[in-house]
Amino acid sequence: MSLIHELESLVQELNSGLDQAFSLNEVEDLRVAFLGRKGKLAQIMQRLPELSPEERPEVGKTANIVKNKLTSLLDECKTKLESAAEAEKLAKFDPTMPGRMPWQGSLHPVTMVMTEICDIFKGLGYDIVTGPEVENDFYNFEALNLPPEHPARDMQDTLYVTDKVLLRTHTSPMQARTMLKQDPPLAIIAPGKVYRRDSDLTHTPMFHQIEGLLVDEKVSLAELRGTLTAFLQQVFGPETKVRFRPSFFPFTEPSVEVDISCCMCGGEGEVDCQPCRVCKQTGWVEILGCGMVDPEVFKKVGYDPEKYTGFAFGLGVERIAMLKYGIGDLRMFFENDVRFLNQFI
Amino acid sequence: MLLSINWLKEFVPFKGTVQELDDALTMLGLEVEEVIRPFDGIKPMVVGRVVECEKHPEAEKLSVCKVDVGEEEPLNIVCGAPNVRKGLTVAVVKVGSCMPDGMKIKKTKLRGIPSHGMICSERELGLSDEHDGIMELADDLTPGANLVESLKLDEIVLDISITPNRADSLSVLGIAREVALAFDLPLTIPEFVLTESGDDCSDEVAIEIADHEKCFCYHGRILEGAKIGKSPDWMRYRLVAVGLRPISNIVDVTNYIMMEFGQPLHAFDLDLIEGGKIVVDVASEGEKFTTLDEQERVLKANDLMIKDGRKSVALAGVMGGANSEIHDGSTRVFLESAVFQPASVRRTARRLGLSSDASFRFERGVDQLNCPQAMDRAAAMLAELTGASVRKGVCKSEPKPWHAPELQFRPQRCRDLLGVNVEDSFCKTTLEKLGCTISSSDSKNWVVVPPSNRLDYEREVDLIEEVARVYGMDRIEPVLPQVKRTLETRDEARNEYEFWSLIKRWGCGLGLNEAINYSFVGHADLDQFNLPKGNRITIMNPLSSEQDAMRTELAPGLLQNLRHNLGHGNTGLRLFELAHIFEADETSDTTVRESGRLNILFYGDRYDSAYPRMSADAEYADIKGCVEHLLAHLHVGTATFTLAEEHAWMSPAVNVVVGDQKIGTIGRIQPEIADAYNAKKDVWFADLDTDVLAALYAARCVKFQNLPVYQSAWNDITVIAPVTLNVQAIFDQVAATKLPLLEKMELIDVFEPEAAEGAEPERNLTFRLTFRHSSKTLKDKDVDKERKKVVKSLESALPVRI
Repeated sequence: MSLIHELESLVQELNSGLDQAFSLNEVEDLRVAFLGRKGKLAQIMQRLPELSPEERPEVGKTANIVKNKLTSLLDECKTKLESAAEAEKLAKFDPTMPGRMPWQGSLHPVTMVMTEICDIFKGLGYDIVTGPEVENDFYNFEALNLPPEHPARDMQDTLYVTDKVLLRTHTSPMQARTMLKQDPPLAIIAPGKVYRRDSDLTHTPMFHQIEGLLVDEKVSLAELRGTLTAFLQQVFGPETKVRFRPSFFPFTEPSVEVDISCCMCGGEGEVDCQPCRVCKQTGWVEILGCGMVDPEVFKKVGYDPEKYTGFAFGLGVERIAMLKYGIGDLRMFFENDVRFLNQFI
Repeated sequence: MLLSINWLKEFVPFKGTVQELDDALTMLGLEVEEVIRPFDGIKPMVVGRVVECEKHPEAEKLSVCKVDVGEEEPLNIVCGAPNVRKGLTVAVVKVGSCMPDGMKIKKTKLRGIPSHGMICSERELGLSDEHDGIMELADDLTPGANLVESLKLDEIVLDISITPNRADSLSVLGIAREVALAFDLPLTIPEFVLTESGDDCSDEVAIEIADHEKCFCYHGRILEGAKIGKSPDWMRYRLVAVGLRPISNIVDVTNYIMMEFGQPLHAFDLDLIEGGKIVVDVASEGEKFTTLDEQERVLKANDLMIKDGRKSVALAGVMGGANSEIHDGSTRVFLESAVFQPASVRRTARRLGLSSDASFRFERGVDQLNCPQAMDRAAAMLAELTGASVRKGVCKSEPKPWHAPELQFRPQRCRDLLGVNVEDSFCKTTLEKLGCTISSSDSKNWVVVPPSNRLDYEREVDLIEEVARVYGMDRIEPVLPQVKRTLETRDEARNEYEFWSLIKRWGCGLGLNEAINYSFVGHADLDQFNLPKGNRITIMNPLSSEQDAMRTELAPGLLQNLRHNLGHGNTGLRLFELAHIFEADETSDTTVRESGRLNILFYGDRYDSAYPRMSADAEYADIKGCVEHLLAHLHVGTATFTLAEEHAWMSPAVNVVVGDQKIGTIGRIQPEIADAYNAKKDVWFADLDTDVLAALYAARCVKFQNLPVYQSAWNDITVIAPVTLNVQAIFDQVAATKLPLLEKMELIDVFEPEAAEGAEPERNLTFRLTFRHSSKTLKDKDVDKERKKVVKSLESALPVRI
């Protein structure tokens, strides 16, 4: 058999070999067997010196053609197998398998609401201040125009450490502490824990408040209303209506109770023809207390009440969280059940 | 304050709806909390007349009646009351209607005789405690008419929340003033005629007021020939409607007038007043006194008492004494109408835990000019209802007569403070309608004299509030103020709120759940953690023994959360809490030192879902890694972790130190403590001081370093060391060798082969050493040379083999 014939028969031989090849490894083995350094093609070409110089060019040419042919056969088969493997991989891909999720953390809803509110006021130019939770009677009551034996002390049942030291019943002591340190103009927000001797469905002995205070020359009640309207509409939505009605706090005069249109029923008093349980059909919910800083408070901290006026407001964080997220039971805030916490990611 | 709308209408001709009244009062600052319909339960009852009444043939105590209820046929009703008789007008519940307790009346048979309804007693109707027999109605009522309407009961009562400054509104009269103002209606005070008789009695009981500061005035009237009995129905039912319990005609009248005028009154049995005088003076320290609720009270030397010539007879303004109270045989009455110092009444009432309707009003202040008028109306009413004659003259003393203050009012100041352009004329009209008189010689600066019923008008600003209130707080247009700022720098890093926010966001981002617990726990909880007792802050009046101490560690709260969550089937927990702890500190102005703490708790499952992760429990490496992550996040440098000698509630406990500052302790909750919280697995814990962290954070320094130009080369080295040798010792020794080319050393594997018997157990620690030269690429031989230095250093200094 001539070398040319032997060369040409390699094509057929590889073809039948490839027919039996089902993996890329087998194809690679065939490549080595045919085209490798010691492969079949090389072995045939080693016999080239046996030929006469006239025959050699013809054989060389054929060898090149065969080599190209073998290479393309191998590549073709390899491509075929690779795409089959890719197709199989895709067929097995299950997009619904669970993800390898990193730990999921959560902020307490009190922190979420507090942050939201503090951020709004920071944006308006207020400074955030903090202060002690165990307070002197002076800062908690006396400096706020609540002398001993004042009936308004009944409004807040107090937990005492000694006769003169107590757990602050509101964040308002921060007003006095800040004003004693700093001169007007000032605009502060004081978030923190407060304590009352009260525990039932709607009261926990500890809860969170945010106190706001702005003091400058010619601050007005209209500006208090503007500030609170801007703030409440940002928290509860631009459609929220804000209602002012007279109230009483010893440290503000005039004092105002602020209601917002009920966020559950939209102020309609009814949800799906049922009386709204959030606003008890009134269409309004109490949201915070505020007022113009009482001149007595300014006197206690050495500000001139003729020169300066100001406003102050205080709001309960849990109450806002309950309205905002629809939480019905106040006590859940302090059980720290992760099924509760994980809803505030 | 419970206000009956019918009663109100006796003072002001209000014709609007309940809703209009509710809205108007609420917007005037008298918040209506609830609309109560006290007699809704007896709405279905009708008036009936007994037209026949015979003894039940089978039962001695029962009567068989035919009762006309305005229908064609009278109803057949079997009744067990002793007072049922022919001709009596009665209250009837018909078949199909319900009793106030919800019981439905059905056709029934009593001992064989059919009964189609029920005749009611006052108690069954909720009108009084009377249950000796059925209620006897006036004969002029029409059978079949609605009972509630026929009796003119106070069907609608408003529960109004009165703020402490509005003492003037603790009466029907006071609220009527506001209603008149709101709806522009005239105020009519019911007229009465007081007929005095006999000799002037003003000297018969001498009034001596020892402490003029504590009793501003004291008036008394003497009534004789009173006959004690039940008050008329209308009065008893009205008192019931506004939440008062009818007692007797004399006591009921004092309560009725208190509700009407806001002036608390007290009636003494004059025959029990000895020595012909009333002395208003303080008690003697430790004095025992029995109030008319039969409670013995121990008094203090500043409690104000009403005394007669020999003994104490009442706690002034709070409650009368048992020794002088009106009883069934009383005929001579001494009626007291006085004004006491609010603070004094409040002090006594609060200390004794005895808040009465009287003390509530005295504490807030009563209208001194109204004091005699209220007494006279009460006397006239008593004369009418008890048949008593009112003696001529008043026994009185008024050491501190009412003196109206003169207040400044500047209309411009009012406009400035409100931010509303209210006109002078509006201010004037408003103040006058509220009872003030104005002498405005200066149009910019008025002198305003408030009425005696408004003790809350003390300053200009109080008047400005009234202008705003009447103008309508809700009509004030919102304006956004300009917030002025100074150039004073704000150090956000030192601001606790900002620093805590940063840590909270870190914790949430890392995958921890933020917890918030009460700041107080029980002393027992702190004892459980073997914490010292000396530095604790105890709450004087805790709600319970579980909340009687301020926490000196956050751990008890988080462990309680662990117990709660385990109880609800949770098997893995990663909680953190940021809060203050509280310790006694004499140098602090509040006697308490509050320090910031970050605590982290790891328990059970390391991952939330099993697949595609291997399930495993959290361990020391998790809590330590978490703390290292925080320190990296804050850029405060790396920490060293050394075993603590001992710790009250963690074991092992590891001190975490950055530089020379201890930032806290991490470790495992001691098993016996964890066990008390139902933890079956190890509880890993970090207790970090955020004050120290904040200081480190404030001083942090973030600096960029150029990236290396030449490649690094690494080499692994396995060190066989006794298990008792800390890994840190190996790191430290290598660091001490000070190899300039060594860039990094990491532990990459730990293997602990089983030790041969008797041999000291060992472990194989494999480290990866990374070398780099700043100006050339290292060759293999360079790295080998460095490695040899490491080996030599380790073998010479530590009990290890390589």
